[in-house]
Amino acid sequence: MEILLSGQLLVAALIIGSIYGLVALGLNLIYGTMRLLNIAHGDLVMIGAYTGYWLFTLAAVSPVLAMLAAGALAGLTGAALYFGLFRRQLAGSQPIERIEANSLLIFFGISIVIQNLTALAFTASPRTYQALDTLVRIGEVSIAQSRLVALAVCLGLSAAIVLFLRFSALGLSIRALIQHRTASRIVGIDVDRVQAFSFVLGFALAGLAGTLIGVTEQISPFMGFPFTIVAFVVIILGGLGNLAGGIAAGMVLGLIETYGVALTSANLRSVLIYGVFILVLVLRPEGLLQRRRLT
Amino acid sequence: MRLLTTREAVPLLLVAAIAAVLPLLGSDYYLGVGFILFGWIALAQSWTVVSGLAGYISLGHVVFAGIGGYVLVLTWGAVPVWAGALLGALAAGLFALLVGLPVLRVRGPYFVILTFGLAEFAKYVVINIENALGRFGRLILGGPPLETLYWAMAALALAGTLAVVAIRRLRLGAGLVAIREDELAADTIGVPTVRFKLFAFALSALLPGFVGALFVLRTGYFEPAQAFDPVISFTIVTMAIVGGSADARGPVFGALFLVALSELLWSNFPQVYMIVLGALLVGFVLFAPNGVAGLFERRRAAAAAPAGG
Amino acid sequence: MRKFVGALAISALAAAAWASPAAAAEVKIGYSIAKTGLFAPAAPSQINAYNLWAEQVNARGGLDIGGKERRKVTLIQYDDQSNPGNAVKIYEKLITQDKVDLLLSPWGTPHHFAIASVLERHKFPMIGSTASSVQLRNMKPGNIWFTTAAVADKLATAMVGLLQSAGVKSVAVLTNQLPFGQENKKFLMPALKAAGIKVLVDADYPPNIKDMTAILVKVKAANPDGVIGLAYPGDSILYINKAREVGIAAKFQYLLVGPAIGFFRGMFKGAADGIVTLGHWSPHGDNARSKAFYAAYKKKFKQEPDYLDSVEAWVSVEILEQAVAKAGLDKDKLRQAISTGTFDTIIGKVRFDGVQNAVTPTGFLQIQKGELHVVWPKDRQTAPLAPKTGWK
Repeated sequence: MEILLSGQLLVAALIIGSIYGLVALGLNLIYGTMRLLNIAHGDLVMIGAYTGYWLFTLAAVSPVLAMLAAGALAGLTGAALYFGLFRRQLAGSQPIERIEANSLLIFFGISIVIQNLTALAFTASPRTYQALDTLVRIGEVSIAQSRLVALAVCLGLSAAIVLFLRFSALGLSIRALIQHRTASRIVGIDVDRVQAFSFVLGFALAGLAGTLIGVTEQISPFMGFPFTIVAFVVIILGGLGNLAGGIAAGMVLGLIETYGVALTSANLRSVLIYGVFILVLVLRPEGLLQRRRLT
Repeated sequence: MRLLTTREAVPLLLVAAIAAVLPLLGSDYYLGVGFILFGWIALAQSWTVVSGLAGYISLGHVVFAGIGGYVLVLTWGAVPVWAGALLGALAAGLFALLVGLPVLRVRGPYFVILTFGLAEFAKYVVINIENALGRFGRLILGGPPLETLYWAMAALALAGTLAVVAIRRLRLGAGLVAIREDELAADTIGVPTVRFKLFAFALSALLPGFVGALFVLRTGYFEPAQAFDPVISFTIVTMAIVGGSADARGPVFGALFLVALSELLWSNFPQVYMIVLGALLVGFVLFAPNGVAGLFERRRAAAAAPAGG
Repeated sequence: MRKFVGALAISALAAAAWASPAAAAEVKIGYSIAKTGLFAPAAPSQINAYNLWAEQVNARGGLDIGGKERRKVTLIQYDDQSNPGNAVKIYEKLITQDKVDLLLSPWGTPHHFAIASVLERHKFPMIGSTASSVQLRNMKPGNIWFTTAAVADKLATAMVGLLQSAGVKSVAVLTNQLPFGQENKKFLMPALKAAGIKVLVDADYPPNIKDMTAILVKVKAANPDGVIGLAYPGDSILYINKAREVGIAAKFQYLLVGPAIGFFRGMFKGAADGIVTLGHWSPHGDNARSKAFYAAYKKKFKQEPDYLDSVEAWVSVEILEQAVAKAGLDKDKLRQAISTGTFDTIIGKVRFDGVQNAVTPTGFLQIQKGELHVVWPKDRQTAPLAPKTGWK
């Protein structure tokens, strides 16, 4: 059992958790402000991974810079989708349940389109590249540079966004929108602008995280779906629309996964994750880490 | 009351006519296409019972097909083939009854992702059971020939279509539609919502269990990751959305449309086929939420109305 | 890719025009493969081999039909969307609608299993390629054959031989839950026990594993002589990244599927040196066919062939070509020729016993200075096994 005290294990759990947290943050932002369930979220991770791959392979651009380009590209995709498809939906008079259910199906269609366009453009062959692969030693822990960067970026960005929501005017409007859509319109918040911003930011975060993920994982047009699933598990755990809760839940999932595997068998990972997912949905759909809302 | 209204007769006659014509073309290829077509019709009709009528959108319907297939391979050799398939259907129905009570309390988008999670959960449980048993993909040799499977699947498609037609006529159908429109109100006016939902859920699991068993017989191979493939769930939903899920016509139209599209496109442009599929889904959800069947309706309403009205 | 789409369109046109007399002179050869879905990333290695072969045959003036004439070949390819059920439908279509003259095999064990009954029903012989399972032997011989030498029980015996020759006394066994990994483990464990090799860590993990640190920290603590990773491509990459981080120092490290794919070595450069993997082919021997295949593949696709999938696919078309040259296109004569003949291939002579390759011994490859060499069995070595020394 002494392996549980291994620093290597703890760092691994933190890295996974922080990546989960950041990926889920984008999904949660879009759900929180607009009640849109983005099943295509993982495909933006995939776009980010390809961006990093091509920039590195063709122009030797470091993933640290490439992730900014990936964020921009994913953000642009988000802007196109928001203004092209979703703005009108959200402005309509449809009940919120209808928008939720429809968005799930629309994003599923978008997901298929993105995946297959990518396969058409780049073939389905898996791709990989090695960048930032120098090993860094911190005490007894040894870790690849790329993963250290991933940890720093994910934690830093997540913290920055939480602070931004707390203290900036735009951030406060986002929080207001998450907490009460109709009321925020009444108090004079430019709902359309806030929605567009959240949508683009949510997409950009996924793209950016994608570059970090693509450095260490196999890149293929179909790599995104597992990340969509993980992001859903995370935001269900943290509470749909609860951003800070989601980041915490990402960490929790990283720890459950790493230590759960160390203690039992890695075989049970999926059973564990989906088991938790189902239990939370059935018992407490508002999420484990969510304070009960006063209604 | 007429024996059958047009909207009831059309899908029934369509299924029967296709079933009768395909074998006349005298080629295994058409039997194969028919087998898949009827499989999708049976799945989409079953889905319609709980998701179309009651509005509980299931994104995990493959779980019932997977269970049906798994029971078939578990009982392979121990009982006759058709008894195995029947047991598969019953097991799927029983599973729906057991999980239905807690799962159907969850509503809206939570229900959608819950059904998906449930199907994945079941998949990983079966994978772990198979590993524990030391079985890694089961090969089934000597199943029934294609003709037999074809007629069995055609019967399932017809049964599914009949079931939706019948349910819509019963108090159950009206109750389910009331639940879709406003569950609280339905409860208040005395619809036994819990019982109806549970019954519909179990009913919508039976045929997929059977279909799953036939799928396994057709390929002669069972592997959990494939038997519980989420793409099957997604395809069912796409068919129902494209066809329309208000009555028995939608699934037949949707399945016909998608199977035809697939036959036309997949051979030469597989990725293009998938892209068209995705775009169709987006387009129908946004612009024709009642599917092809809804489009017919709209046109007829427009024709019936006086000019300018 | 564009060229490939072009070839696809041409073969599709040919398929559409099958009834016209002009096209009837060509030999139509059909197959299905996963262009979309779960297995799509694995398919190009096999498709490339088929396309290269068709191009070479046509450049030679066509396929030799029973020594009487030469006819150009045209490939008809369909996407099975990674679904074995679709593969069944496609092979029925190829046989009954497109009326192809010959069939090539799809990708993957489940797909081979699924179409076996179609071949049987239509008495249509086809040589398999990328499939491996002990369950193959339950299949009725006559219309399907398997080129692979990598069946789990034989692999277990060969692995023990390799371990003993390398002086490995203790191992960690890490197994992916997918069928091929599990089947390998099932036969490997008793073989290790019988040989007195201690298993210090025995861990299974799911196909979608994202981090192996937990398992590898255990392995490091146990400090075995060897690590046997019954892995697939995705988790093979994960293993190298994490084992390097954690600092696994075992002198023997094996990964089942992955290192034989071209991009793998390019990706890790020195770090992958010393990794052993499954395979019985390498271009470094003195087989002239091998060298020609390797050079042509590299020239056409600007990458190395997959030492498993591209090779199995290539062997299957080599055998088909030689059988057709002897027997023509008649199904019964062709079946006879394949069942009884001995064929020259890039993996040496191949002859079938029932459905199985009766000649090619189970082998292993090792990455040495960025190249893959056959290190087992000893009489086929292109280089001796070397211990893995660090991660560079």
